[in-house]
Amino acid sequence: MRVIKLNKKNIKHILEKIKLILVNDGLVVFPSDTVYGLAANALSLTAVKKLLEFKQRPKEQSISVVVKNFKQAKQFVVISLNQQNILKTLLPGPYTIVLPSKHKVIKKLEAEDKTLGIRFPDYWFTQALSKAFPFPYTATSANLHGKGPHYSISSLLNTLSEKKKKLLDLVIDYGILPRHLPSTVINLSQPNLPCLRKGDFQFRLIKKCVSINEDQTKQIAKDLLKKNLSILKEKSLIFVLQGDLGTGKTIFVKGLGEFLGINNIVSPTFVLYYEYSTKHKFINKLHHFDLYRAKTKQDLKVLEIEKLLKPKNLLVFEWGEKISSIFSLLKANKAKILLVSLKEISAEQRKIIVYKL
Amino acid sequence: MLILSIDTSCDETAVAVTKQRRVLSNVLFSQIKLHQQYGGVYPSLAKREHLTKIEPAINLALKRARLNLKQIKALAVTFGPGLPPALEVGVNKAKELANKYQKPLIPVDHIEGHINSVFAQNKAGKPVRDFSFPTLTFIISGGHTELVLWQNHIKYKIIGQTLDDAAGEALDKAARLIGLGYPGGPIIERLAKKGNPNQYPLPTPMLQHKSLDFSYSGLKSAFKRLVYSLSEKEKNQHLADLCASFQAVVIKSLLIKLNLALRSNKVKALIVGGGVSDNKELRKQIRRLVKQHQIRVYFPPLKYLTTDNAAMIGVAAYYKYQKGIYLKNPDQLDRIPRANLDVYV
Repeated sequence: MRVIKLNKKNIKHILEKIKLILVNDGLVVFPSDTVYGLAANALSLTAVKKLLEFKQRPKEQSISVVVKNFKQAKQFVVISLNQQNILKTLLPGPYTIVLPSKHKVIKKLEAEDKTLGIRFPDYWFTQALSKAFPFPYTATSANLHGKGPHYSISSLLNTLSEKKKKLLDLVIDYGILPRHLPSTVINLSQPNLPCLRKGDFQFRLIKKCVSINEDQTKQIAKDLLKKNLSILKEKSLIFVLQGDLGTGKTIFVKGLGEFLGINNIVSPTFVLYYEYSTKHKFINKLHHFDLYRAKTKQDLKVLEIEKLLKPKNLLVFEWGEKISSIFSLLKANKAKILLVSLKEISAEQRKIIVYKL
Repeated sequence: MLILSIDTSCDETAVAVTKQRRVLSNVLFSQIKLHQQYGGVYPSLAKREHLTKIEPAINLALKRARLNLKQIKALAVTFGPGLPPALEVGVNKAKELANKYQKPLIPVDHIEGHINSVFAQNKAGKPVRDFSFPTLTFIISGGHTELVLWQNHIKYKIIGQTLDDAAGEALDKAARLIGLGYPGGPIIERLAKKGNPNQYPLPTPMLQHKSLDFSYSGLKSAFKRLVYSLSEKEKNQHLADLCASFQAVVIKSLLIKLNLALRSNKVKALIVGGGVSDNKELRKQIRRLVKQHQIRVYFPPLKYLTTDNAAMIGVAAYYKYQKGIYLKNPDQLDRIPRANLDVYV
C-alpha cells in the first residue's frame, strides 16, 4: 500500500498512477464529493472480486459506479427520454441514480432486481479521474462492511488490519474532507412486474356510474359489498381497485369499512397491508392491501396471500392491477374477483366502472 | 436491567439489547442506512424475509453487546401496528425465547417505541434528558402521523392522527409523481433547498377543521393535477420549485395542528419522532414554534432512532416493566396489526 498526498500540482502525475493501477485490476482510495471512496475498474472481474474481498460485503448488496457523463451513463443503464430530462437537472450532483442495468459492468455490482446505481458527482477530482480513466469505476465508500464512512485517511487506516491494507494498492490523501451528507439515492427503475392487460382474463362489465363526491363513492362500495355478501359463505371476496394516485381508492375501502363497522381505515401504503376484524356474520376479516410499493414477485410471496383465500375473508387490493400474477393466484376458484376502475373526471367527480372476472 | 427487543413491524428486521435507557447494541437487517452511504442502493421489499434474518439478527445483537440470552432479564417485542405476516415473525420468536428461557415478555406498541426513542442513550448514558409529564408527542413517518398526549410512562392518549395518508407517504408519492422514484422524502428535502416554496400555490390540508386530525389525500390530488398540467419541459425546469412548494405545504399543515395542540393542552415538553422528523426545515420551524410556547422540544438524539429500530422498543419496555406491564404467560400475546396505543399500555 502506498499513500500519496494530493495537491493541485501533482494531480497529473497522480492521475497517471491511478490509471495504471485501475487498468491492472488494483484498488485505489480516492477523495470524493462525499466521503473517501474505493475505486476499482467496474469492467474487470478480478478488480471487483478484490474490492468485495476488501469490503466483506454480503453478496446481495449492490455497489454503484462513477460515470464520466450522460453519454457514458447511457452505455451502462437504460434511461428513458423523460428520465434523461430529470437527470439533466440533477446531475452532476450528490445523488446515486438507480436504473435498469444493461449488464455491461461486472454483474456483482448490480442489485438483485438487476438495477445499477450510477454516480456523476459535481467534484473536480472524480471528474478528472473519469477523464483519465475511460471506464466506469466503483464508488463505494472506503470502509469495511457495517462500519461508518471515513472523512480522513488516518481514520480509515486506523480501522484496517495489515492484511486489509495489503489489498489497497494506492491511497490518495487529500486531507480531511468536509462533512458532506452521503449521496441521496433516487430509484428511477420501473417495477418489473407485468401489468394487467384486459386481454389476459375475461372481464364482464357489470356496472358503470359517476360518483359526484366521496360520500357517494363510499355508498357505491357499500352497495357492491351488500350485493355480493352471500358469496363469502363459500369463498373469499376480492376487490381489485384500479386508478391513478388520488382517485379515491382508499375512500372506496373506507366505504367498505363503514359497512362493516370499521372506522379507522387509513392508507396501508407503507406497510403493504393492514387487517381488520369485523363483527359481521359473513365476514371475519377485512384485509386491505396496497401494492404501490411492491416491485417484484418476491415481494408478493412474503405477503402469503394464498393463506387468506378462504370463506369469510374480504380482500381489497389497491394497485392490484400492477401485478397480473395476482389474478392467476386469486383465480383458482377460491375467490370471487371484482375489478373496480376509478377515473377522475373533475376535482370531485369520479367515473366508476365495475367488472367481474 | 438487560432487555432484548425485537421489532419486525415493516421492512426492517430489528433487534437491540438495552440496559435501562442505554443502547448496548442495535442491529438492523435491511441495511437501508448502509446503502444510503456513498454508493448505496435501496434494497427491494423482497429483503423483508424476516424469517431468515431474525435468528442472525438476534445473535449479532447479543454478540455486539457481549452477552448471551441467559444474562438477559426480559424480552420485548413490537405487537403492532404493522404488516401482519411481518409482525408475526417477531412476536412468535419472542414468545419462543421467553418460553424457552423462562423470561418475562414485554409487549410494546410501535408508536410507543417512537415516542421513547428520544430518551435512548449511548453506552455512556448520553444524552441526559429528563422526562417531564405531561408531554406532547408528535410521530411523523412514512407510516404514521400522530399527535399523542403522554401523561405518564404508560398512559397515552391519541389526540390527532391522519385520516388517510401519512405525511411521509405524501412526500414519497409527490416524489413519484414528478418522476423521482421511491422513497422520496429525502430527495424532496434535498431539492427543495434550491426551490421557491411559493412558486406553486397548493391547498393546506385540514385548514378549516378544528380537529387535530391530518389528511393528505386532497393535497395529493391537487399536486397530481398541478403536475399533469405542466409540460415536460416546464416540469423539469421547476423540479426544485415543485419540491419546495409541496414540502412547504406539508410542513405548514403539520405546524398548524401542532400549534393547535400546544394551545389546547398544557404540556411541559414536546417530543418529535419518526423518519420525517429528520427533515431540517421541519425541525427549524418546530423549534421556532416551541419558543413561542416556552417549552422544550426533543428530537431523537441519533439518526438511526428516527426510523424503525428495536432500541426504542427496549427503552419503552424498560419503563413498562417497572410499572408491572409484562406477560408471565407469553402465549397470551398475539400481533395486533392496527394497534392504536390501546392494548398493553
